[in-house]
Amino acid sequence: MAQESMTSDERVWSALRLEKPDRVPVIPTLLPEPAAGLTGVPQAQIASDNQAVVRAVFDVYDRIGGWDNIYPASYKPIQLQAAGVFPMKMRIPGVDLDDQTPFQLDEQEMLKPEDFEKIAEMGFDAFFEEDFLWRVSELTPETKADEMMQLMVGGAMFLGECAKRECKPFFLANGLHPFFILSLTRSMIPFTQDVFSKPEPVERALRRMTTDLIEKQLLFVKQTGIDIFMCSEERAGAFFFSPAVFERFWWPYTQELVETLWAEGIVTLFHLDTDWSKNLPYFKRLPKGSAVLELDSTTDIFAAKEVLRGHLCLKGDISAALMSIGKPEDVAAYSKRLIDEVGADGGFILGTGCSVPPDAKFENLRAMVETGKTYELTQA
Amino acid sequence: MSSRIAELIVSLEQEQTLELVRVRSAAGEDPLALLEECRQGMLDVGQLFHEGEFYLSELMISGEIFKGAMAILEPYLEQVRGGDPIGVVVLATMRGDIHDLGKNIVATLLRVHNFEVHDLGVNVEPETLVEKVKEISPDIVGFSALITTAFESTRRATELLVEEGLRENLKVVVGGGVTTPEFGEYIGADLQTLDASTGVAYCLEAVGAA
Repeated sequence: MAQESMTSDERVWSALRLEKPDRVPVIPTLLPEPAAGLTGVPQAQIASDNQAVVRAVFDVYDRIGGWDNIYPASYKPIQLQAAGVFPMKMRIPGVDLDDQTPFQLDEQEMLKPEDFEKIAEMGFDAFFEEDFLWRVSELTPETKADEMMQLMVGGAMFLGECAKRECKPFFLANGLHPFFILSLTRSMIPFTQDVFSKPEPVERALRRMTTDLIEKQLLFVKQTGIDIFMCSEERAGAFFFSPAVFERFWWPYTQELVETLWAEGIVTLFHLDTDWSKNLPYFKRLPKGSAVLELDSTTDIFAAKEVLRGHLCLKGDISAALMSIGKPEDVAAYSKRLIDEVGADGGFILGTGCSVPPDAKFENLRAMVETGKTYELTQA
Repeated sequence: MSSRIAELIVSLEQEQTLELVRVRSAAGEDPLALLEECRQGMLDVGQLFHEGEFYLSELMISGEIFKGAMAILEPYLEQVRGGDPIGVVVLATMRGDIHDLGKNIVATLLRVHNFEVHDLGVNVEPETLVEKVKEISPDIVGFSALITTAFESTRRATELLVEEGLRENLKVVVGGGVTTPEFGEYIGADLQTLDASTGVAYCLEAVGAA
C-alpha cells in the first residue's frame, strides 16, 4: 500500500483548491448527538454538559483512529441558543424529552412581521440580544453569561484535545444564512407567505443581516486562523422555492457574502440540505475555489460534479439513513463509488450527508473513515 | 373552465380568495359547490407543481388558503350532507421526532382530495398508532420522518401492524427528508417518497380514485 504524502491540513486544502491530494480527505460531520449515540452517553448528559461532548467526540475519533479535519463540537444546545446560532425554542433531552432522544429545534412563529423592520434598523444581533432571545429562551442575563462562559471553557478544551492529536478543526466560524434564520424564526409557512405577499420588509432585513454577517465573519474568521466560514442553508433551494424567489431573496446576498470573503482568502463552506440540483448552475458564477458545497444525499452529488467539476469542491454525501440502517459493506461500497466518481480528479472531501445521525452504527462510521483513508492508497 | 375562486387560489391571492368565499357563502350559495371550486383551485396548483412550474412553496401557500376557506365553509357544510370520503388515512411522525411540516402539507393535500385524515401528531408511540388503526380501519397509514431517530419506532409500528393482523388490507406510505428507498424496504412500506404529490397520487390509486 502506498504511503500518505500529505498532512491532513495539506490534503484538505488541496481538495479545496480543486487539486488531487494523495488520497481523498475524510471529514465526517460528527456533532454532539451522534457522539453520544456512538459512545453510549445519554443524550440528556450530552445536552447538559459540553465538556462531556468534547470527551465523547474524541472518544469516537480515537477509537476509529482519527480522520482529517474535525468538526467543532464543544457545545450543548442551550449554548447555541444563547449565542444566537440557533435563535429558536428547543426541546432538550432530560427536560422536555426522554433521556435518550436527541435535542430538537422547536420551530414556532416567534418572529412577527413587524420585526423585519426592527432587524433592518438594529441589525439581527442587537435585536436578538435586546429582544428576541428572551422570547424564545428561559435563560436570564445571569444564566446566559454563565452558559457563554462554559461555552468558552468547552471550546478551549476542544482546541486542547485537537492540539494533543495534531488534528485541526475544519472551521471555527459558522452561522446560518440570513434567509434560513428568518424562515426558522418566523416559521416556514408564515415566512413563505411573507416572501410572496410582503417581500419588501423581508428584503430590508436580509440586506442588513447580510452586511452585518460579512463584517462580523471577516473579523472572526481571521481571528480563528482557519480561513473557512461554514454557512448552513436548508430552505432556499428549488426543493422549496422557484428560481425567481431564489434569485431575488437568496442568490444576490449569497454571492456578495462569498465574493467578499473570498477577496480576503476565505472559503465559504455551504451546508446545503434538501435537493439543490436545479440551483447548482448558479454556483458556477462564484469565483473558482471560493466555496465548498456540502450535500446531504438528496441532491445528486454525481450530477453536481458534472456541473461544478473544476470549479468548486464538493463534500458528502453518505446518507443518514445508510449510516443508521445500512451495513458497513454498503457504506464502504458507496464511499468507493464517491471516491471513484466524484473524487477521481480531486476537489472532493468524503463526508456524511448532513451529519452523522444520532443512531448511526459505529461500524458504519468506521467503514466510511477507513475506506477514505485506505482505498486509493491500496490502488496506487 | 376555472371559477374565480380557483383562479384566485392559483394566483395565491389569500385575502381575495377568502373574502370571496366569505361573501358567496353568506349570500347563500351552495357550500358544496364553493368547496368544489376551492378543490379545483388546489388541483390546478397540483398540476402546475407536477409540471414543474410551481414549487413546494406554492403548494404550502395554496394549502393555507384552502384551510382558510374550509374554516369559513365549515358552519355551512354542517347543514348539508356531504359525500362520503374517498378513503381514510392515518398520519403520524413517530417517537423520536417532533417535526411535522411535511406531514401537515400531505394532510392538507389529502383533505383537498376528500380523504378523511386522522393526524396523530408527532412523537407518536407505535402502540398508539396501532390502536388508532384498530379503531378506525384506515385504508392507508402514512409515516413522516425528518431525522433517523424515528426509524426504529416507525419500524416497530409496522411490525406491530403485521403482528396484530392489520397489515393485509392496509397500504403503508413513508416520506420525509431523511427517508430513502432502503428505509422504505426496512419498514416494509408500499411506497417511500420525498414528494408530497407523489404520495397523494399513490393514495388516490390505492383507493381506486386515481
